[in-house]
Amino acid sequence: MGNDARKSSVARPRYRLLDDGQIERIHATTLKILEETGVRVADPEGIRVLEEAGCAVEKEDIVRIPRGVVEACIESAPSRIDIYDRKGEPAMVLEGRNSYFGLGTDLPTTVDLETGEARRSVLQDVVNAARVADFCPNIDFIASFALPGDVPTNTMYVECFKAEVENSTKPIFFTAAGKDDLEYIARMARAVAGGMEALRQKPFLIHYSEPVAPLTHSKGAVDKLLFCAENGIPICYIPTVLLGASGPVTLAGGITQANAEALSGIVMHQLKKGGAPIVSGWAVVPLDMKSMTYCYGSPEVRLTNAAFADIYHHYEIPCWGIVGTDSHVLDQQAAMEHAFAELLAAMDGANLIHDVGYLGQGLLGSPASIVMCDEIVSYIRRFMKGFEISEETLALDLIDKNSPLKAPQANFLAERHTLKHFRTEIWRPAVCNRDMPDAWRKKGGKTYGQRVVEKAREILKHHSPASLDPGVVKVLAAIVGEARTGLEGKKFNA
Amino acid sequence: MNKGRYFEEISDAIVNLEEGRAVELAERAITGDMDVLEVIEKGFGTAINKIGKLWETGEYFLPELMLGGTIVQRAMDVLLPRLKAQGKAATFGKVLVATIEGDIHSIGKNIVATMLSANGFEVVDLGVDVPVERIIAQAIEQDVDAIGVSALLTTTMPGQKALVEAMVTKGVRDKFKVFLGGAAVNAEWVKHCGADGYAENAIDAVKLIKEALRGSSKGGK
Ligand code: B12
Repeated sequence: MGNDARKSSVARPRYRLLDDGQIERIHATTLKILEETGVRVADPEGIRVLEEAGCAVEKEDIVRIPRGVVEACIESAPSRIDIYDRKGEPAMVLEGRNSYFGLGTDLPTTVDLETGEARRSVLQDVVNAARVADFCPNIDFIASFALPGDVPTNTMYVECFKAEVENSTKPIFFTAAGKDDLEYIARMARAVAGGMEALRQKPFLIHYSEPVAPLTHSKGAVDKLLFCAENGIPICYIPTVLLGASGPVTLAGGITQANAEALSGIVMHQLKKGGAPIVSGWAVVPLDMKSMTYCYGSPEVRLTNAAFADIYHHYEIPCWGIVGTDSHVLDQQAAMEHAFAELLAAMDGANLIHDVGYLGQGLLGSPASIVMCDEIVSYIRRFMKGFEISEETLALDLIDKNSPLKAPQANFLAERHTLKHFRTEIWRPAVCNRDMPDAWRKKGGKTYGQRVVEKAREILKHHSPASLDPGVVKVLAAIVGEARTGLEGKKFNA
Repeated sequence: MNKGRYFEEISDAIVNLEEGRAVELAERAITGDMDVLEVIEKGFGTAINKIGKLWETGEYFLPELMLGGTIVQRAMDVLLPRLKAQGKAATFGKVLVATIEGDIHSIGKNIVATMLSANGFEVVDLGVDVPVERIIAQAIEQDVDAIGVSALLTTTMPGQKALVEAMVTKGVRDKFKVFLGGAAVNAEWVKHCGADGYAENAIDAVKLIKEALRGSSKGGK
């Protein structure tokens, strides 16, 4: 028995779904799809880079990618991406099994914190989400969360970015309608970072774009993908397969198709600029065969999420994660589905776990939900930390000292050892109830749902995020102004 | 085989999702010189109702509905030439479906299209990312009764409004009913666009369009 008294180790929760043989099989089938079936690339520049690398193009836009090209691109994609905050301080190291949690984008409806009613999202909701998330210690990156319906449609993503960067220092995960508004956003990011090179060195933003299942890279998606490659803006390029609707209903088939979509994206990106930062993964999600909805809160999503994490750890390419719920209110179902999702995404070792706080099948937001998920993540972080096993923590002397033989009145609570360790060993919630019944009643007998709403209100009242340099604020306003004219009437490529 | 028995058999073939059998029975209607309208009504109609019931009782799910719809279409393809030759209309109407320019969210639109054809509509599916001009030109060329357009993005929803406006400008607004769909579309938006209705899901979409075209479709069933 290994019994070295001086040795110290950590017991950590670990979970792996796929064994090496299973990864190899999915990988080999993916390569077959890319090499034999081919993918559709609806963008001339995307086709050009692929053709130049030796891919065969048929019927104008169907591209077959030889395995050598795929493998070289997996190799050239970086295995570590450093993301900074707005101030240029290190914020996230997307690598290995490091997990970071953050918001999602584009929720058209918001639960109003004052009235409790669901209503159309407005720009103030983007501000509110950024401020609440800026306060929440376990939210590592922000995103628009809301999709504002009160600003001109063509500049909404530009306005979102401004609202986010002005209301939080945390890294920003963002969408764009097309390359045209993405250019304005990139200009804003450069203004904040202090120039093109500074932004390249210390990116504080990650763009989020998606190809289209089955096996299609739309013009709009490729435009954004290649723009990010060229400009050193980290991109998360994520296919979504709806099981049984836009891919096979079987999980293995769904993830293999999605992997072909993800890998062909990585190939175009790396061919455009070898070593450019890309985060990959996929959302392989059931379509509920009765309600006909996309099921964020399903157990199958947890399995497919685990599968890509295993595969992308094997590729050594940083990977994202997805969480969410199908409930249309912040209720028990929302809490249950979020808790499972965030926990399992962390167990998967996914690096960039997004859509934290999402409600209503990706259609509804609520600042209170961000507060709830902050606590869920806090719990998970404690869990994932595991515990140390060492002479000090095994505490043999202490057990002996307080044994019935030596101390009839054992009192661990008054021990220095307890004082020394309790803060780091034992997690304490911020909002969950741990009061005795009377104490809880005296405080108003409120449900968890009521308490997270109150806390969100408190945060919005009292938390002031570090302000942005007034000179930069002016530049951002000017860029938004330019975007309003420049993007007016613009049709974005699908 | 007697007629009643035949209708039962073709209906069962569809409900049990036996494509080969359904097509074979449809072919028999042609060789046996049966009244094809009656076959459609008493055979297909019964099958569609039965599938609808099985859906409601929770025995059938979306894949049964979609495959059932496809089988009805295949069997219908066999009968259609005969029907046309007799100058008869076989459908509740002709509906053009598409997702609006800039939008590639196809899944909902595809479900609606299949459900419509399963329920006796002729469907012209223009696919995804379709410009307004093309929708209108095709609606005129194919002489449809209604247009159903899907948009899931806030950036593409204005296209739904532009469609109605362009129809007004071209003087064809009265020729086609316009229905809107997609996750962000609601009654308020439909009113704002001046369209004729929306539905939250495919089942309601079929009900909506059936109701709206009742008695008014050009094919006139
Ligand atoms: C799957 C999905 C995708 C897939 C689509 C794959 C495909 N082949 O269709 C992919 C990954 C490609 C995708 C891409 C994008 N997506 Co998307 N997507 C979704 C998601 C999760 C589910 C949509 C879906 O398929 N639902 C299931 C089907 C069956 O439902 P449905 O489409 O609503 O259809 C039903 C009804 O609406 C109705 N219906 C549909 N059509 C019609 C037509 C008529 C006439 C009638 C009467 C009824 C009707 O009946 C259908 C069946 O019941 C939604 C979230 C959501 N819950 O809606 C986001 C969502 C729509 N996407 C969103 C976004 C932002 C994007 C991207 C911009 C993301 C990005 N960063 O690039 C791109 C844009 C691509 C483009 N140019 O179109 C946002 C939109 C926000 C907004 N209001 O603008 C949403 C809401 C998610 C979010 N909050 O971020 N997406």
